[in-house]
Amino acid sequence: MPQTYHFMIDIQYKGNVRDPRGETIRKVLVGEYNLPVTSLRIGKSVNIEVEADSPEEAEAIVRKACEELLVNPVVEQYEVRMI
Amino acid sequence: MNPKAAVVVYPGTNCDRDTYYALELAGFTPEYVDWHGDVKGYDLVVLPGGFSYGDYLRAGAVAAREPVSKSVRAYAEKGGLVLGICNGFQVLMEMGLLPGGLLENTSGTFICKWVDLEITDTDNPFLSRFKQGEKIKLPIAHAFGRYVKVGDPKVALRYVEDVNGSDEKIAGILSEDKNIFGLMPHPERAMEKLLGWDYGKNVFLSILDWIRGGNRVV
Amino acid sequence: MSFKYYDELKKRLGREPTPVEIEAFIVMWSEHCGYSHTKKYIKMLPKAENAIQGNAGVLPIDDKWAVAFKIESHNHPSAVEPYNGAATGVGGIIRDILAMGARPHASLDSLHMGDVTEGIIRGISDYGNSIGVPTVGGELRISEFYKHNPLVNAMAVGIVERDKVIPSKASYPGQVIVLFGGATGRDGIHGASFASEDLEGEKATKLSIQVGDPFMEKQLIEAFLKMKEEGLIEGAQDLGAGGVLSATSELASAGDLGAVVYLDRVPLREPDMEPWEILISESQERMAVLTSPEKAERIMEIARYYLLETAVLGEIIQEPVYRAMYKDEVVMEVPVSVITNPPLEDVYPYTPGEIPEFKHIPFKEVEPSNVYFQYDYMVGTDTVLPPGFGPAIMRIKGSEYGYSVVTHSRGDLGYQDAYWGTYIATLEAVRKTFAVGGEPLGITDCINYGDPDEDPEGLSAMMHGLKDACEFAGVPVVSGNASLYNTTGGKPIPPTMVIGLVGRVKLAEVVKPHEGDVYAIGWDRFSPAYERILWDVIRKLHSCGCFIMAPSHMNSLEGYKNSLAEYGYALNVTDLPDVNPVHSTVLAVCENNYCIDEISKTIPVHRVGAVVKV
Repeated sequence: MPQTYHFMIDIQYKGNVRDPRGETIRKVLVGEYNLPVTSLRIGKSVNIEVEADSPEEAEAIVRKACEELLVNPVVEQYEVRMI
Repeated sequence: MNPKAAVVVYPGTNCDRDTYYALELAGFTPEYVDWHGDVKGYDLVVLPGGFSYGDYLRAGAVAAREPVSKSVRAYAEKGGLVLGICNGFQVLMEMGLLPGGLLENTSGTFICKWVDLEITDTDNPFLSRFKQGEKIKLPIAHAFGRYVKVGDPKVALRYVEDVNGSDEKIAGILSEDKNIFGLMPHPERAMEKLLGWDYGKNVFLSILDWIRGGNRVV
Repeated sequence: MSFKYYDELKKRLGREPTPVEIEAFIVMWSEHCGYSHTKKYIKMLPKAENAIQGNAGVLPIDDKWAVAFKIESHNHPSAVEPYNGAATGVGGIIRDILAMGARPHASLDSLHMGDVTEGIIRGISDYGNSIGVPTVGGELRISEFYKHNPLVNAMAVGIVERDKVIPSKASYPGQVIVLFGGATGRDGIHGASFASEDLEGEKATKLSIQVGDPFMEKQLIEAFLKMKEEGLIEGAQDLGAGGVLSATSELASAGDLGAVVYLDRVPLREPDMEPWEILISESQERMAVLTSPEKAERIMEIARYYLLETAVLGEIIQEPVYRAMYKDEVVMEVPVSVITNPPLEDVYPYTPGEIPEFKHIPFKEVEPSNVYFQYDYMVGTDTVLPPGFGPAIMRIKGSEYGYSVVTHSRGDLGYQDAYWGTYIATLEAVRKTFAVGGEPLGITDCINYGDPDEDPEGLSAMMHGLKDACEFAGVPVVSGNASLYNTTGGKPIPPTMVIGLVGRVKLAEVVKPHEGDVYAIGWDRFSPAYERILWDVIRKLHSCGCFIMAPSHMNSLEGYKNSLAEYGYALNVTDLPDVNPVHSTVLAVCENNYCIDEISKTIPVHRVGAVVKV
């Protein structure tokens, strides 16, 4: 009996790829709001539901979605979390 | 003496020079006011289009919290005329001076083109030179122009056809007191027939009429 | 890492090169920086006699204004990461013309790919739109030939007061070098040498990806122009491939002087960088300017106002050496001339044949409005003729004159004959320029080619084709760029010469789209002699007020139809001439037939339809 599984995918630039958006916002927080922010990186999150027979199969589907389309493996990395 | 208009420049604003030029053509004396500045004492304040702070967080979000924006708020609260175009409209919304939200276009892409619009309110300082229901053309150039309605905004401008998925095809709205006008289309790009159509000129001339009519508030 | 010119370097230095020198010269003597394969060909091309202050890419428009323009490839980075590759390509070429003192005024592209790669289009759109420079034209050609080696060529045009062009050279010892812009990271280390390699190599996966920061670029543009306005800049060079090393050595070399740079002063994003990495990093959105010691502080003050990082990087010295220091230690010291005079490959002999019988190789041309509606083509309020009609027309506020600008290529012909493919692409660009009323001023060329070590003849054919076409048309080549080694698994792309052509336009004489009968004018075959007659006819018709379209393919008029629809017109044509893959024909929309009668004595004319109000 297939069930619906719900995941959050967190997509970020890889550690060695620069994130100008995050750098700019960090500078504003430090310079204008005087907050001691030492690092800030902006990513994307994807809220996704899939139908599968088991949690393992569901996660495999989500990972496939990431690798085939949602994530650009050249510059991005991702984490999948079931909720 | 020509009325004085402030062109507010945030880091990343890119229609400041176009707006300055349009204001001059229309008969204003424009001046740039940067993000540290104060708009007190001007007859008109224009927040031009662009990508303030790259729009890296949310369109207009960082700009809305800059020192100059605080002075724009004080100016608007006293009844001063504020015109927000494109990114300027997004800034006004982030400041809470106009109701609603501006999200990404339904196409998911940036759209730059001339669009047909309908004037739905002429009883205000910005559009008095138009006729109620008049159809005009202005260019749009935005990725985040889908207006999402909150409450019951005073709609002054609507797209004739759906271009970006805005609620009720809303393209521009007025504040409750009608002294603040925010719109996604670019009137400053429609000043001369050489570049296409010149309907935008009447926006600036309407404001000029209103100011010359002795309606100065601040 | 192998280094082709190791022995040559050893000979010139008179000693074993150090590891740092090897890293540095791999970059500086790459095709991308050193033009080792193309420089001798470039010398053959006709030059502009009226170029301003010896700055090749700057030509006068009127008594006050000049235009600066250049095209550049970003093919290899776009193959690896389409979005950022394309975005940083736009940024790079914008800084190139900014360095001449010009305000960026228009940008264009020329894209070739296997199928529509959204990332490339979005990369150009996001970057160009954000920095407030209108993207006013370009071409998008889809063909299997480019599946593994997409071509992303970006062109920029800037406007500058004739007496305020900034030299790209040092002028006296003691002049200081100020760096400003984004902080430096490891971005694109070896990007330049990578751009000169087959894409199969493992380097393709190891390259540090460059990420574009359009906000920083916008700040950089405004900061630079503010410094220029205050008269603070005595010389400038953008930092592109080869980073600090390339920019500063070129400034010194052009002034027959030397330079010392202090790498520990460079603001870093990655604090653990090695000195040699700082020296050659390609971090985007950076600029180096020359100024006097007393003006340096004001330059840095302006940079900081625009939220940019800045430092006094070094100074110009009398002795013609390039010395890179790091914390009081010499990292590298070599004669400047060794850096900036890479070994040059010889011209390969070539004699053109007859024009071949070209076959029709269908390239899928994408409806251009799908693409240019994603680009802000109006910001700046100077776009007089929008994209979609061939060249765009830009005005210069306060001048009677503006300019037309177009990018054009014929890879489909280049595949069949590199010489004639290039020749015809060039003449078609000239034809398109005349069609909108432009008087051709100058060309910037982007050479996109396979492997010149494997097949030197094809490159030679292209360069001879460009030279002969420019001489035929009387148009000089003022700037350019080369992208070689566009091969995958040893298979090259078709020789694809992209022509960027700027023409001078009298604004009062601009003809906008209008109603009227449409005539096909010219011959269904191409020949240089036909072309010459056609150009004269085009000029005559333009002065009669005809709106002229010069499509390369008569069977793909969708783009023109959609662009006319924006103006409220419909293009109704039937009986289009069945023309060859190359022809000498244009379509003219004329309100009266007085001029048509006149020209029909010299050239074939057929009425093929009408443009009507919708």
